[in-house]
Amino acid sequence: MRLSRHVRPLTAAATAAVFVLTACGAQGGTATSSSTPVAGGSLTYAANTEPTCFDAHISTQDITGEIDRNVVDSLVSEDSDGAFHPWLATSWDVSADLKSYTFHLRTGVTFTDGTVFDAAAVKANFDSIVDPATKSQYAASLLGPDYSGTKVVDAGTVQVTFSQPFAPFLQAAGTAYLGFYSPKALAASKNNLCAGGKASVGTGPFVFTSYTKGQSAVFTKNPDYNWGPATAKHTGAAYLDQVTFRFLPDSSTRVGTLSSGESDVVRAVPAAQVKGLKAQSNVEVQTLSQPGGVYNLWLNTTVAPLNDQRVREAVQRGIDVTTDVNSVYFGVYQRAWSPISPTTPSYDASLVGSWPYDPTLSGTLLDQAGWTGRDADGYRTKDGKTLSIEWPLLPAEYVTDQRDTLGQAIQADLKKIGVKITRPQYDIGTYLTKAYGGQEGILDSSWSRDEPDVLWLFYNSASISAGGQNATFLKDPELDKLTNAGRATLDTATRDQDYAQVQQRVIDLATTVPIYNPLTVVGVSKSVQGLTFDPNDWALFYGAWVSR
Amino acid sequence: MATAMRAAPAALRPGGRSAAVAAGAGRRLAAAVAVMLGAATVAFAALQLVPGNPVQILLGMNTTASPAVQARIRAQYGFDRPVAIQYLRYLDNLVHGDLGQSYQLQRPVSQLISTQLGPTLQLVGAALLVAVVLAVVSAVATAGRWPVLRAVATFFELVAVSSPSYWVGIVLLTVFSFTFHLFPVAGAQNLASLVLPAVTLGLPVAGVLGQVLREGLEAALDQPFVPTARARGVSQTGVRLRHAFRHAAVPLVTLTGWLTGSLLGGAVLVENVFGRPGIGSLTLQAVTNKDMPLVIGLVLLSAFAFVLLSTVVDLLYLVIDPRLRTG
Repeated sequence: MRLSRHVRPLTAAATAAVFVLTACGAQGGTATSSSTPVAGGSLTYAANTEPTCFDAHISTQDITGEIDRNVVDSLVSEDSDGAFHPWLATSWDVSADLKSYTFHLRTGVTFTDGTVFDAAAVKANFDSIVDPATKSQYAASLLGPDYSGTKVVDAGTVQVTFSQPFAPFLQAAGTAYLGFYSPKALAASKNNLCAGGKASVGTGPFVFTSYTKGQSAVFTKNPDYNWGPATAKHTGAAYLDQVTFRFLPDSSTRVGTLSSGESDVVRAVPAAQVKGLKAQSNVEVQTLSQPGGVYNLWLNTTVAPLNDQRVREAVQRGIDVTTDVNSVYFGVYQRAWSPISPTTPSYDASLVGSWPYDPTLSGTLLDQAGWTGRDADGYRTKDGKTLSIEWPLLPAEYVTDQRDTLGQAIQADLKKIGVKITRPQYDIGTYLTKAYGGQEGILDSSWSRDEPDVLWLFYNSASISAGGQNATFLKDPELDKLTNAGRATLDTATRDQDYAQVQQRVIDLATTVPIYNPLTVVGVSKSVQGLTFDPNDWALFYGAWVSR
Repeated sequence: MATAMRAAPAALRPGGRSAAVAAGAGRRLAAAVAVMLGAATVAFAALQLVPGNPVQILLGMNTTASPAVQARIRAQYGFDRPVAIQYLRYLDNLVHGDLGQSYQLQRPVSQLISTQLGPTLQLVGAALLVAVVLAVVSAVATAGRWPVLRAVATFFELVAVSSPSYWVGIVLLTVFSFTFHLFPVAGAQNLASLVLPAVTLGLPVAGVLGQVLREGLEAALDQPFVPTARARGVSQTGVRLRHAFRHAAVPLVTLTGWLTGSLLGGAVLVENVFGRPGIGSLTLQAVTNKDMPLVIGLVLLSAFAFVLLSTVVDLLYLVIDPRLRTG
């Protein structure tokens, strides 16, 4: 099986024995690596999360995008190198000022309810996304703050305009979040597409057949499908007759379904279970680096003591990131050097190794900042005040990737340089109020998107307001200029240069401590062929088939 | 509860089993409405005390919802109104049989609950069956005899009571699903998929019930009526099943009623491990997200379940113990 991108051999040696998997032993089922696709059959995909809402126009969840990709098609298709190819649009013209995008639509495309896909359908969808009544939590932001509207030029031509240059639009237009539902479905069940099932009507390779909350979502082949993206390896209908998504939040159970043959593909294999799964002869483990924001610690530049750059730098250099990440993730995950991951376009590789662990430097910086005293516990003090920073723990149900354990390692590192990190665990309401209110010293998060424009989200001062994601709370004219400039050009060299400067500047200002590059770890049965992943690391079932 | 039944006028008629049952049920149903209204009010008040901005909680962390969208949500759900108005509006809807729409899932609460209730009832029912059967077999067989077997049974009951259901679930999965492929790992698609979750959920309850029932049986077997029955020629097992068991069953019924309530709560872990749909995971999600209409809907459901259970338990007393019927 070949993957489209980012596939990396796992060299890690996991040390912990995983009882669940070692108990499984070797089972039969030698994979027949037939290279000729076979039509028919079904595939079961075990996911770790379940959409709260299946409407891609509303939801911000990755799982919603991944599932809805089977039902909705997009205007363009992005390949692994970040280039765009025809899909529902056969060609497009972008105005020189990047304020207007004209798409020439493919003809002969129909929604599975028989409605014809045309310019009016594109307009109906985009209009619906930006309508406040839709309450879009994410898709509307992909159209940007300066979206002016969509105009039907003729049945086969549609023009999307912006009041400011908006380069990230093509990438956004390729995501499932800006995919198209039948205008009839939109009108008939406004705000009810959340419930999934038959109401979700798109042009996609599969039809949403049924949904059992807490258990599964079932998709069947759309036999009329003949408008796959130019990036796909075949044309016509999908090979699989049926794709079933199973929702299994417990990781032991989820991985167990792969061993028992109840599922064919398992998402989010925990680092600790990778070794055990690799030992099974009928399973292949694939790791895909996620594009977008890595797991970052955001240092709030507006609250003491982190409003002092020397303290921020001391924290940044006082964390032994490499050791911490290796020990918590058994070497499966790689440490990060930039706020965006290596697979994101415009990633700046020059940052690698540029800010190594240096507790001595941290000590010097803290001395310079006046934190020279010591209290009974060995923490630094200044004017009788302990050097203490609050970094709240998320409520347990929001903690992923054992980030709480990783946090303990970081806490221990910082204790060595005399910095006290307190980690109160609030309920989600208090957490969000304090986090958005800028009352916390450190916050942590990752953000998956195959577009360096995530840096705008993290660092532009316009992203500090309610619903914003700028947790550094820094209003820096230089960062504003650079992140706006990246939005205003499609020229790769210019973008690379602008975004490299952003990445370097936030490390220099020590507003950010990148920790690890998030990985998508997928267990795949060897009977599954042709499974590919899109630039967001979401599984694509259109070209997949099973040999058994 | 039993004393209240005894005071019921219909129960005074000698041998009026069905009349007593009917009167008891009527009183209980009337009380149920009051209990449920109270529960809804307490749930509403409790959720008001939970800190945080409901719109922020609803949107979660990874959102880029614009201020306009946030304002829209606030207005649509009436978060901008005074609490008293919100409460009255809620009660008004409730009286009209409208449980409202889940904030988070954007679907009607009644629809969510009705689709998730079935699998949980199946699970709890099957777990209860497992628990009662195991407890009765183990206690009746070993009460007051066969010291070695009795000790073994007691030991396993203790283990069952003290093992966390999460752990039991994983162990059962490892043995019966991952290794021997006897049962499906997850889901609620057929009877086979019910076995492991039901055993996981039922085992601790079986442990408690077994211990209580054995103690009750052993006390009853010491009673003077036992030698009398034996003297009349009733077999050893006959005495146990027909006479002693009836005596021991009253605390068993009380406890079963109470434990069924706890099964509903315990279902959340089991549903999670076995990837089953159900009320448990729905409740967890609703409380976590401060999803008011859904939380209150679920509180009403559990209030109703408890009222129903205690009614059934009281009625069972009348069936088991004739003394309660005659007062």
